Amino acid sequence: MNYNLNKYTGKEHKTSNYTAFRNLLQLISHEKKNLVVALLAILLNSTLNLLGPFLIGYTIDHYVQHKQYHGVLVFSGILLAMYLVALFTSFFQTKLMGSVGQRTLFTLRNTIFSKIQQLPVAFFNQNKAGDLISRVNNDTDKLNQFFSQSLMQFVGNIVTMIGAGVFLLIINYKIGIAALAPALLILLFTRVLSPWIKRKNAANLKTVGGMSAEIQESLSNFKVIIAFNRRDYFRKRFNEANEKNYQTAIGAGLANNIFLPFYAMCASVAQLLVLTGGIYLISEGEFSIGLLVSYLAYATYFYNPLRQLATLWANFQVAMAGWDRIAEILELETDLITVPDTMQPSLSPALLEFRNVHFGYPEGREILHNINLSLERGKTYALVGPTGGGKTTTASLIARLYDPTQGTVLLNGKDIRAYAADERSRKIGFILQEPFLFTGTVKENILYGNPRYNDYTNEQLTEAIREANLEKLLAIFENGLDTKVISGGDGVSLGQKQLIAFMRAVLRQPDLLILDEATANIDTVTEQLLGEILEKLPGTTTRVIIAHRLNTIENADEIFFVNSGEVTRAGSLQNAMEKLLHGVRES
Amino acid sequence: MKQEAGTKKKEAGIFSLLQPYMGMVALLILFTLVSNGLNLWLPKIIGNGIDAYEHGTFQLQPLLIKFMVAVIIILTFTYLQNIIQTYVSEQVARNLRTKISDKISGQSYAWVEQANPSRLLTNLIADVDSIKLFVSQAIVSLVSSLFIIIGASILLLTINWKLALAVIATLPVIGITFFLVLRKVRAMFMKSREIMDWLNKVINESILGAALIRVINSQQLEYEKFLDANSKAMGFGLSIVRLFAGLIPVITFTAGIAGLIILSLGGHFVITNSMTLGDFAAFNSYLALLIFPILVIGFMSNIIAQATASYQRISAVINMPDLMPGGTLTAQLKGDIAFNGVTVNYGQKPVLKDISFSVKAGSKVAVIGPTAAGKTQLLNLLTGLLKPSSGSVLVDGHPVTDYNSESFHSQVGFVFQDSIIFNMSIRENIAFNDTVTDEALEKAIQAAELKEFINSLPNKLDTIVSERGASLSGGQKQRIMLARALAVNPKILLLDDFTARVDNNTEQKILRNVQLLYPGITLLSVTQKIAAVTHYDQIILLMQGEIIAGGTHQELMLTSPEYIQIFNSQQSTSNYELQS
Repeated sequence: MNYNLNKYTGKEHKTSNYTAFRNLLQLISHEKKNLVVALLAILLNSTLNLLGPFLIGYTIDHYVQHKQYHGVLVFSGILLAMYLVALFTSFFQTKLMGSVGQRTLFTLRNTIFSKIQQLPVAFFNQNKAGDLISRVNNDTDKLNQFFSQSLMQFVGNIVTMIGAGVFLLIINYKIGIAALAPALLILLFTRVLSPWIKRKNAANLKTVGGMSAEIQESLSNFKVIIAFNRRDYFRKRFNEANEKNYQTAIGAGLANNIFLPFYAMCASVAQLLVLTGGIYLISEGEFSIGLLVSYLAYATYFYNPLRQLATLWANFQVAMAGWDRIAEILELETDLITVPDTMQPSLSPALLEFRNVHFGYPEGREILHNINLSLERGKTYALVGPTGGGKTTTASLIARLYDPTQGTVLLNGKDIRAYAADERSRKIGFILQEPFLFTGTVKENILYGNPRYNDYTNEQLTEAIREANLEKLLAIFENGLDTKVISGGDGVSLGQKQLIAFMRAVLRQPDLLILDEATANIDTVTEQLLGEILEKLPGTTTRVIIAHRLNTIENADEIFFVNSGEVTRAGSLQNAMEKLLHGVRES
Repeated sequence: MKQEAGTKKKEAGIFSLLQPYMGMVALLILFTLVSNGLNLWLPKIIGNGIDAYEHGTFQLQPLLIKFMVAVIIILTFTYLQNIIQTYVSEQVARNLRTKISDKISGQSYAWVEQANPSRLLTNLIADVDSIKLFVSQAIVSLVSSLFIIIGASILLLTINWKLALAVIATLPVIGITFFLVLRKVRAMFMKSREIMDWLNKVINESILGAALIRVINSQQLEYEKFLDANSKAMGFGLSIVRLFAGLIPVITFTAGIAGLIILSLGGHFVITNSMTLGDFAAFNSYLALLIFPILVIGFMSNIIAQATASYQRISAVINMPDLMPGGTLTAQLKGDIAFNGVTVNYGQKPVLKDISFSVKAGSKVAVIGPTAAGKTQLLNLLTGLLKPSSGSVLVDGHPVTDYNSESFHSQVGFVFQDSIIFNMSIRENIAFNDTVTDEALEKAIQAAELKEFINSLPNKLDTIVSERGASLSGGQKQRIMLARALAVNPKILLLDDFTARVDNNTEQKILRNVQLLYPGITLLSVTQKIAAVTHYDQIILLMQGEIIAGGTHQELMLTSPEYIQIFNSQQSTSNYELQS
């Protein structure tokens, strides 16, 4: 499966705004009740706002013109009551819609994040961290802005506008038509330009993602930038991304502003049409001055919201462009699905077995060719071989970070793909070549994702660590369990990170433990200690060790030689050495 | 009082961003005023039309011409205004980003680590965006809204000052509400930005740790972490919404009251014949004009509050003092290295204690010692990634800081322990310093034994490596990093546990290549393998930040029990390694 979000080889996204918006609304269907209540508040509020000028016009015609001040006061009282009600409806409207926006943002972010969590390692290898962060953060925020600020005004404005339009037509359909005619022009203008605006914004969001990726990469590799005196490089690369973003942002900015002046012009023209039309009708005796005054106000009540809609519609296009980028992630599915167990239960005693396994990364050469191997319970296996020979790939297939392109991997005689993720990960421990720490304490890191010690106190935990023979390793950390670590930081050394990864894996008590050069940066004395700990693991634990340093593998029961995508039994250590020293390095 | 003065100063700060664009902003405001002024004139034209009709002096044609001319001028000027507005705001954003990135690029490694890349990312993207929004929307809206409010007020005053004063009297209510709400909102925005940093961090770690998370199947745990941060973010969002939900109704209500005043008081005036009906109508339309800008200010207040909060955060970065100006020494290095009583503290704890040793130019020195002994810090000191808390690090008798960094770094090659690969072509990854010539590149590739590998790639040197080098094996990354260090043709080569991920065979070849192709190079190598360094001129044994012993292999075997222990730990297999 192609997981590269920026190189969509498949069908381009050509969903219409309507379907996109419908998909989006499905995500927030649980907000239906709130939306309905908010809509009622909006309706009420808009009605009250519309009634205002009508009552004022009525008062002018009936009382001001006829000099009846009492009536003026009565209607002022009615208006005051109305405004008081509007005060509350407007409060609820804003609060409800704003909350819907915030919760939508919340739901959206959660949905994307949980989708990202479901995707396999391949997805992360093909996309840049910064771009993904930008999608989870910035693009969702574009939607939030629309939902919390714009949607409320959007609905409110449309309601007011339609109401005003209806009033305009009811009061006098002739002038009404004249007043509304420019709106048709607006509709046409909007329809023609909307896709272009969305495209411009999509281009902009993409460069924002690119810029974010650039920052992310440079900042996490800052020490190389300093050691090679390439501060200028950081600036240069960033400036390039910044400049690219500037260009698309100008495009998007201009596009987003295209509506408003035009809408405003149409609004003014409508006023003129009302005036001339009104005067004509008055001269025909069909209309009154008082009506004309309130009519002009109604025209404003129709075109003011329309004017705001200009901006809001542009915001909507921005939100839709953001949604497209989010939808690209949401549409991805993991290719590591759990398959039904259809295999004949195998009688072989092997804990893990490769049967005719082939593997290659998408669009790449085949890396492993027809691998057959079988690992028995309680034994120690070593994978040796030159750099780039396929050792890590083999290990990744055991842990099912990828699926073979051909052939099967069996765990306990059952297709590894038939295991639920949690069961598989309980059975298989994998210490990755590059140790990863989360920001937090050593304790949090060695217990990461390990439910077994969830409610252990520090004392109980220390006891458990002693039982696992790990206490000497823990002693290497300044403040023991409470030593603070920063992800990606240099506060703890690479060797220490490897120790944490080691303890983390051992405490999970897996049936099969893979160490992928997991101790490469640990000194040899400590490494001996690790060797002893591995020895003391329960007798049924199978160990798979990948290493360059030979003392780590001398106790292996069996050695496999991995080279050029082939895995062969190397026989004795001596034999493996010969192969290593005289074999051709194939990288 | 004090706080108020403080916020005033910050607001001045945000406006200072506009200084280079004063001309543009002036033009922008001018255009805005022209179009808004004309906009104010339109109801007057209409009102006059009504009055003229009442007096029987109505003429259609002059009215049409006046009106259409005004409308077309408005259209032109609003478009011009939009174009300038877009350019100014985008330039402000671009230049602010450049400014921040320049600032960051001039900082030390320690600062970037401590400042937290997730936060810097929010600074560069989201914080700048809210300032951009402020420039693009708030400034013009504020100016034009204020203009309309003042203009409409003046017009109201000229029509009927008594009625006008009564209407204007309602405005302070709005002002006070603004003040109260904004004061609270700003603090909240600051906090919600901090939550954003946190959210970024969780996302970031879940991406960089993706493989581990999948091995352990802890996706749910990550989701819960995210949920936690995201819920907090929503909490702040909701509080902010509530505050604004209080602000906007107050504004519309006040506007309604103003309308009521016009009706009741103005109606009274009309009835008592102290005001014409046309004026009364104009009053009503000006009120409609007045409400809109006030509402706009209400919405803008959100943007203003966000922008000031963001600017405060950005200022913290921009106002960082620059690093001490680097040294000026550009001498050709010989390669003598000396540490004199160097102590380094990381937080409170010392990682290196009173380290003294010297390395003669052209010699080979190994640093050996247990995990977390401070070996990497030793190398970091030599490249200026780390500054000693006390003591001095000398190269050719001069402190490292005295050297011009460009000249110095082009003569010192550093191979890091962890693989750092950029998402660029292999060529760019190796020729990372642009002074690298093609021959130097070739030589480095040859020395790092990469030729075969590169030739096997479809695009050879121009093959793009994915971010974090996911498409490369550990050893390939390590060798690219070595080639990167060698490509500058260094006088001093610093290897941090270089051999850890390269197989023995390749390792031996590479070290021979380095000796052959880079004669006279001073080599300082942190390593775990004694076998590979027995013939070195000096071996330094470092433990818990202190030098325990130093000397040649033979000397140490006689004098240092710790060394012998390490040696013994590697004995069983070293006979294989020695074969080559």
